[in-house]
Amino acid sequence: MPSSNPLPPKENALFKRILKCYEQKQYKNGLKFAKQILSNPKYAEHGETLAMKGLTLNCLGRKEEAYDYVRRGLRNDLRSHVCWHVYGLLQRSDKKYDEAIKCYRNALKWEKDNIQILRDLSLLQIQMRDLDGYKDTRYQLFMLRPTQRASWIGFAMAYHLLKDFSTALRILEDFRKTQAQKSNFDYEHSELLLYQNMVLHESGALQEAISHLERYSEQICDKLSILETYGELYLESGRWKESEEIYRKLLLRNPENTKYYKLLQEALRLTDPEEKLKLFEEYRERFPRAQAPQRLPLALATGDTFKTLVDKYLRRGLHKGVPPLFVDLRSLYKDPEKVNIIHNLILQYIDSLKTCGNFAMNESESANEPASALLWALYYMSQHYDFLGDTNKALEAINAAIDHTPTLIELFVTKGRIFKHAGDLVEAYKWMDEAQGLDTADRYINSKCAKYLLRANLVKEAEEKCSKFTREGVTAMENLNEMQCMWFQTECALAYQRMELFGESLKKCHEIDRHFSEIIEDQFDFHTYCMRKMTLRSYVGLLRLEDVLRAHPFYFKAARCAIQVYLRLHDKPLTDDSQQQELNTAPAPLFRTVPRVSRIQQSVFEQQLVFVLKFMLCHSAIVAEAAAIQPD
Amino acid sequence: MLKFEWLLDRDKPNNSVFLLRSKIELGDVTQHNIRQLKKLNQVVFPVSYNDKFYKDVLEAGELAKLAYYNDIVVGAVCCRIDLSENSRRLYIMTLGCLKQYRRLGIGTKMVEHILNYVQTDGSFDSIFLHVQVNNASAIEFYKKFGFEIVETKEHYYKRIEPADAHVLQKTLRQANGLPHAAKSDSASDVKSETTQ
Repeated sequence: MPSSNPLPPKENALFKRILKCYEQKQYKNGLKFAKQILSNPKYAEHGETLAMKGLTLNCLGRKEEAYDYVRRGLRNDLRSHVCWHVYGLLQRSDKKYDEAIKCYRNALKWEKDNIQILRDLSLLQIQMRDLDGYKDTRYQLFMLRPTQRASWIGFAMAYHLLKDFSTALRILEDFRKTQAQKSNFDYEHSELLLYQNMVLHESGALQEAISHLERYSEQICDKLSILETYGELYLESGRWKESEEIYRKLLLRNPENTKYYKLLQEALRLTDPEEKLKLFEEYRERFPRAQAPQRLPLALATGDTFKTLVDKYLRRGLHKGVPPLFVDLRSLYKDPEKVNIIHNLILQYIDSLKTCGNFAMNESESANEPASALLWALYYMSQHYDFLGDTNKALEAINAAIDHTPTLIELFVTKGRIFKHAGDLVEAYKWMDEAQGLDTADRYINSKCAKYLLRANLVKEAEEKCSKFTREGVTAMENLNEMQCMWFQTECALAYQRMELFGESLKKCHEIDRHFSEIIEDQFDFHTYCMRKMTLRSYVGLLRLEDVLRAHPFYFKAARCAIQVYLRLHDKPLTDDSQQQELNTAPAPLFRTVPRVSRIQQSVFEQQLVFVLKFMLCHSAIVAEAAAIQPD
Repeated sequence: MLKFEWLLDRDKPNNSVFLLRSKIELGDVTQHNIRQLKKLNQVVFPVSYNDKFYKDVLEAGELAKLAYYNDIVVGAVCCRIDLSENSRRLYIMTLGCLKQYRRLGIGTKMVEHILNYVQTDGSFDSIFLHVQVNNASAIEFYKKFGFEIVETKEHYYKRIEPADAHVLQKTLRQANGLPHAAKSDSASDVKSETTQ
C-alpha cells in the first residue's frame, strides 16, 4: 500500500537517498537530504521523511528528538508502513520489544509481504519467545522466499522449538534433498545434518536417528560429535554391545573424559563396584598417564582397595607437587572411613619423609623423594585439618610448611583461609595480602585478596586492590561493572548489607540483575548470525540456556541479598536520622544515590517481587525441563 | 565403519614417566616477585639488606636471578659490577638457598650461571665475595669452583659473630701489574654473605 502522501519524483529520489544513508551509517548526510525535503513548505510535514529523520537522529544519540520526529511522522501518516516500521525500529533500539512487535504488526497491515519487516518481526518474536507468532512469521517468509536457505531453516526451527517434530523433520528433509553437496569439506552442510539428527533424536525416533547417522557420516566433518551421538543413541535404544564399542573408541581419543567412563559402565551393564573397579584398572594399565582412571575409582573403592589406590594417588601428587591435590580429593571426605585412611597415610608420609626422605620407612631404595615432597605433604595436612575443623592443628601444619619453604605463595593463601574458616576475617585478609605481595602479577591471588577484604567489609581497600588489574582511566568499580565481574559485585553487596548501607547494597544487586538482562539481550545478534552460519545445534543450546539463565547461582546469591535488604527496609523503614547517618558514613559515591533510597523504599514490595519472580520463573523452567528429561 | 585404530598404539604404557627428575631453573627478578627474594634473603642470611639493595637488584638483569626447584623459589643470587681499584670485578653480594633444599645442585646452578656470564662478557678481571670466617661449607663450596681466600677482614660484620670475613676470589685474568689479591674494599656499602 503506497503512502497516503506520495512525493514527486525529485523528492522521492531524495527520500531514497536518506534510506541509503541510513543503511550505510552516513547519518549526517541522511539529515542533509531530509532537510532538503522538509524545507520545501509543501512537504514540511511529510510523515515518512519526518520518521526517517527521527530514526537517523536516534543513531546519532539524540533520543528525545528522535522520538518527537518519529511520532510526528507517524501522526501525519498513520497508513504508512514505513512510519510504523521506523517506530518499531526505534522502540527495538530502546529494548521495548513488546511495543516494537505491535508497531511491526501495524506496519504489516499496510504492507503484508514486506520481507524486511517480516524478518525484523521474526527476530523480536524469537527473542521474546513468542513461538507461535514466530512460526507464523517464518511461514510467511518461507512462502515469499522459498529459494533462500534461511527461509527453510527458520521455518523448520520454529516447529522444532514448538516440539512439532514431524513437521520440522519434514521440512528439514525436503530442504536437505535440495542441497547438492559442494565439496568433501562442507562444514555448514555437516552442521545441518547434525542438526537434523538432533531433531530426530529429540523426537524419540532413535532407530531413524541411527540410520540417518550411518547414511551421512561421510558428509559430517565433526567426527567427535558422530561418535558421541552414536553412543547416546545406542545406549538409549539398549544396544549395549554397540554403545560399548563406541565409548571404548571415545576413550581412546580422550581417556580423561569422565563422562565416557560413566557411560561405558552403563553400556557394560556394570552394577557391582568390583566390576567397575576392574574396568578402571584396565584403563590405568592402558593409559598410565591418565588422571581420570586413577581418580574415579577412589569414589567407588572401600577398605583396603581404597587404601592401596589412594596411597598411590597421594604419592603421585605429592611427588609431583600438585597444589590442588586436596581440593581434588575433598569430595571423598563425605566418608569417615576414607578420611581416616587418608589421615593415617599423610601422617605416615610426613613421619618418614622427615626421617628418611621416602613415603614409607621400609623403602630403602635410593630413589629419594624430592625435597619438596615434605612441603606438599604438610600443605595437604593443613588443609585436611582445616576441613575437619581442627584450626590449631591446621595452623601448626601450615606454619611447619612455611618454616620449610617460606617462599611458596600457596601456603599463605591457605593460612589466610584457615583464619577465615575460624571466623577471624581480619587475620584472614592479612595473610592473603601477604600472599598477594609475593606475586603481584598473579590475578587469581589479587582477586582472592580483594574478596577477603570484602569479607572484612573493607570495600574501598578491595577496590584499590582490584585496580591493579583493571583498565586505567576509569575507577575499578566502573570497570568491574563493565566487565560483568559478578563475584566482586555480589561480595560488595553483602559487605554493604552487613554495614547496613542498604542503598549501596541494593545498587550492587541491581547491577548484577542488569548483567543478566544484558546477557539475555545479547542473544539478539545470534538470531541472525547462527542461521547464517548454520551453527544450529549451538543456537538451540543457547536459546535453552537463556530460558533458564536467572537460575544461575550468581543470580540466586544476588537476589537473596536484595530480598533480604528489601525485607529489612520493609520491616524497619529508614528514618530520616538513619538516612542522614548513612549519608555521613557512606563513601562518596553514595551521595548520588541517597535520594533514591527513599524512592526505593516506596516500591520495596514491587522490587522484591521482581527478584523473586525472575528467579522463580527460571527455576520452575529448569524443574519442568528436568522433569521432561527424566520421567521418573 | 570408522577408523580409529591408529589411536590404539598412541599411549604405550611407560612407567618411567612417574619418576620425573626434579627440575632446577633460573628466573628473573621483577618488581612483581621481588618480595619472594626479600623473604628468601631474610631467612637465609643473618644480615638484612636495605631498600637500595632491592632497588638495584631490579636493574641488575642477568646478575640477579631466582632459583626454582620444581617451580618453587628456593634460592637466589645477586651480583654487581665493582670498578674500584682500577679493575673490573664481579662482586657476588648474595648467593643462597633455603636450608631444606641444599646439596641438590641449586648453588652450583647459580655459580655456573655467573661464571658463564663473566666468560661471555670477557672483560672481568675477577669475581670476589665475602664470607664469614666460620662458614666452612661455603668456603669449601667456592673452592670447588677455583675461588681462593685472598684476604681476611677483621670486624667486617657489625651485628653478627664472628665479625670477621674472608675475601674469596677467583682470578679470571691478570690485571696489568696489579696484585691479583684486591686490597680492602671500603667502597662497598652492602655487606655480603654467602650460604650454601
